[in-house]
Amino acid sequence: METKYNNPEWKKGSAELLVLSLLEDQARHGYDISRLIESRSAGALRFHVASLYPLLYRLEERRWIQGRWVEKPKQRRRRFYSLTPEGRKVLTQQRESWQAFVEAIRQVTGIEHA
Amino acid sequence: MPDWEAKIRERLAPLGLDPSREADIVEELAQHLDDCYERSLTEGAKPGEAYLAALAELDRGDLADLKPRNHRGAIIMAPPSAFSSRTARLSRLLIDLGQDLRFALRGLRKQPGFTLLAILALSLGIGSATVGFGVVENLFFDPYPYKGADRMVTFTIRDLKGPAGPGRSWFALNEFLDYQQGNRVFDDMVGSYHIPVVYSGRGGAETFLGAFVTPNTFDFFGVPPLLGRGITKDDGKPGAPPVFVMNYRVWRERFGSDPKILNTVFTLNDRPTTLVGIMPPRFQAFGCRIWIPITLDSGPTGGPGVLTPRPLWVLGRMKPGVNLASVAAEMNVLSKQVAKSYSKMYPAEFVVRVYTLNDFVLGDMKRMLYALVATVMMLLLIACGNVANLLLARATARDREIAVRASIGATPGRLVRQLMAESFVLAAAGLIAGCGLAYFGLKLVVATIPQGPFPAEAVIGLNPVVLSLSLGVAFLVTFLCGLAPALHAVRGELPSRLASGRGANVGLSHGRFRGAVVASQIALSLVLMTGAGLMVRTFLALRHVDLGFDPARIGFAEINAGKAIDHNLDRQKVFFQQLLERVQAIPGVTAAGETSSIPALLAGPYAPIDVPGITHSERWGAMLEFCSEDYFRTLGLQLQHGRTLTRADIDSAAQVAVINRTLAIKYFGKADPVGKRMQVVDFDKIPGQTQASPYFEIIGVVADFKNFEVRLPSEPEVFVPYTLSTAGFRNIVVRSSVKPESLDSEIRRAIWAVDSNVAVGASGSVENWLDRTSFSPPHFGTIFLGTFAAVGLALAGIGVFSVMAYTVSLQTHEVGIRMALGAQRGDVLRMVLWNGVRLIVAGVIVGVLSSYGLTRFLANQLWGISATDSWAFGAAVVVMLVAGTAACILPARKATQVDPLIAIRCE
Repeated sequence: METKYNNPEWKKGSAELLVLSLLEDQARHGYDISRLIESRSAGALRFHVASLYPLLYRLEERRWIQGRWVEKPKQRRRRFYSLTPEGRKVLTQQRESWQAFVEAIRQVTGIEHA
Repeated sequence: MPDWEAKIRERLAPLGLDPSREADIVEELAQHLDDCYERSLTEGAKPGEAYLAALAELDRGDLADLKPRNHRGAIIMAPPSAFSSRTARLSRLLIDLGQDLRFALRGLRKQPGFTLLAILALSLGIGSATVGFGVVENLFFDPYPYKGADRMVTFTIRDLKGPAGPGRSWFALNEFLDYQQGNRVFDDMVGSYHIPVVYSGRGGAETFLGAFVTPNTFDFFGVPPLLGRGITKDDGKPGAPPVFVMNYRVWRERFGSDPKILNTVFTLNDRPTTLVGIMPPRFQAFGCRIWIPITLDSGPTGGPGVLTPRPLWVLGRMKPGVNLASVAAEMNVLSKQVAKSYSKMYPAEFVVRVYTLNDFVLGDMKRMLYALVATVMMLLLIACGNVANLLLARATARDREIAVRASIGATPGRLVRQLMAESFVLAAAGLIAGCGLAYFGLKLVVATIPQGPFPAEAVIGLNPVVLSLSLGVAFLVTFLCGLAPALHAVRGELPSRLASGRGANVGLSHGRFRGAVVASQIALSLVLMTGAGLMVRTFLALRHVDLGFDPARIGFAEINAGKAIDHNLDRQKVFFQQLLERVQAIPGVTAAGETSSIPALLAGPYAPIDVPGITHSERWGAMLEFCSEDYFRTLGLQLQHGRTLTRADIDSAAQVAVINRTLAIKYFGKADPVGKRMQVVDFDKIPGQTQASPYFEIIGVVADFKNFEVRLPSEPEVFVPYTLSTAGFRNIVVRSSVKPESLDSEIRRAIWAVDSNVAVGASGSVENWLDRTSFSPPHFGTIFLGTFAAVGLALAGIGVFSVMAYTVSLQTHEVGIRMALGAQRGDVLRMVLWNGVRLIVAGVIVGVLSSYGLTRFLANQLWGISATDSWAFGAAVVVMLVAGTAACILPARKATQVDPLIAIRCE
């Protein structure tokens, strides 16, 4: 059955949504992002280095986020990522479609369980 | 803190990132790993555990995605930085190639068995090809060290109504001068004839094969002498002091490379002659040991510009830009004018045939060389087939690895390059080992190559041209071997390949290709074996041909009497009677005779004959043999009718003749020739004659023997007393109860005991000389085709074995199921064998059909059998079937030992 959610990209999309959401309020570096995903999902979701950074770079290439090196006194410089205006728009769209998707799933599974 | 950067760089290396971007990523990822490590430590992990946990971060996920992409998902090339984009690309490419090669080396080192087998196959293939190139390049393209050698041609007068063959290649001196002065197509022309020259030194007389050459010869060849000078035009002027030039081999072997012999006087043919020059090793003009100028007043018929004693073989060098066709056109016109002055020497209808020097020297052996090239190319293909199959099997087995590499960002181009790098590394190793093999192979060729039909000047060995051809072959091999696995690597859906177990499904899809390769190998190998079989059959047929006498028991010695006899009949008779008495007294000699020919080796003069009372339209002729009474007993010729020569006939120089059976049948038919008279036309004009009558009474008929050439039927022959003439070359033949070679020195002593001024030329047993002459080309053919066929068979066997072994390994699961369902070991054995035998039979059928088409190119090297000889074909088929099936047996037995439980579980 073909639905608008029958998209192989949806998994990838959910990872993008997670990252974009975490950058909504403030700029964060990669390790911070991965820690937050893990802690806020109570360990259910984990991003390894080899998955996280390719994703970050991809989002950066799409100009949804912007990374830049920030040096702080007595600390190593770190690369911080922040949301671009375009990224903000994408985040809004993705949130909406994700919510619609979750709702659809809920309805389908609700009927089946009824 | 652990050093993460190296680990990260290692994983990023295959992605080919821009260096500055790579540095950024490394720094960022390293920090992340530092954080992971510290966190693990604070959570109570040991440093080792923390390290491994952090490192695992790198291997869980798709680092390939780090490769920059554009919005459509295509990979972006690294932007030009400090370098120009071309330099950057080039350096990137070199770095990548270096990585590919290192990776290939690592991979090959892990599978030494596979690697060695592949290198062995390739070194045999490339080695054989190099041997082939070495022979062909040196013999075809660069055999002569002479100025403009590729423009050197000779020509012949071919009688359009005469027998097949090139025609008359010899010209009288004046005839030669007419051609030399009358033509406009040659830079220059030289003429020569060669005869044994008697050198009377302090140790006794000996003979050197000498070439009498026109005085412009050394200018013509343009090779500077090693020492002294060459022959000049002044040396040919009437009254010029006699001089000669020596070849390198005589100088080294006979005179110990002594430079002081230059300008000393040698007695050659009883004439004091000054040695003026020594030529370098490769100068072998006319295949002679010494060169003597033709002085226009020399020879028995002397007189300035009149005649040399012998006709000349002519060689011209075409002017630049002139081709063979224009030479032929010019010479055909010119010859019509020349023919008017020498009407007796020209047939009524003739044509001038022009040959390049190399074509004339090589003759029929050219086809043998073509066969050699074809053979080595076939071997190369067989070897490539093996390695392609091995690499393909390996690529299939590594399917998952390749899929993983593709999924982490290796592009199809990169994967192809990687696999090509492997095949290149193998080809390079094969090239090195192959050139080593070729070095020894060429030495074997030099040792077995027949001397006669090939240019003596040619140096057969490895040279830059040959080596660069081999390098080219190595590249070709890289492509041929690497193509199939590389195409395999980039085809197919990635997810299915990632999911597939051992690549079995992909393996089966390539089964047909592998089968086709093996069948082709078998077909090629069968063609080689058929060729080898035909050469072996020819060689055996020649070795077993009935010569009419036993060559192993007949020895001979060429006698160069020179001044000792000096064309005096009495001195000749006394000399030979004394000599034959002494030789017959040598222990081991059972009979000895005098002869003007050497059976099966050296034909006597051919004379026109006539039989009074019988009219005929065609020209009649026969070989004229001057022999002693014991000649017949020495050869063991059976008397068929009448009697043979007696001592009285010899002593009285009687006008009697014995004829052979061929002559009797050809010219007398059913009539009894004994008692009849025959005429040897112009017998009275042969020099050195006292009996003027050309008429002989036929006194007997003897059985035929091979009096001309082993491959040809006996020629009509007339045997007359040797005391009738001093013409021609003289020899003695002996029949011995021991090996004739062992009598050589005794015979020489006997000759010198009679007259120390007599030189002995070639000597030995007829059999040995046949081995070195008539049997030599088929022997060479047998060795080279036989060796290559054996190599081809081995390679095809390896091919069958490796493919069957691989197929069986893929079928383990199927075999397991069959056995679980009740199949017996015999059924499995039959199933696997049948798969192999099907391939072999297909290959054999194609091979037999190809052989039918190809062996006719060998036809002129064959004798006594047809090019489709059923024995040779049958033997090749049987050997192939047996060897092929044998190669299947081991894999088939392995299949029967499969444990069904394990086999089913292993999927």
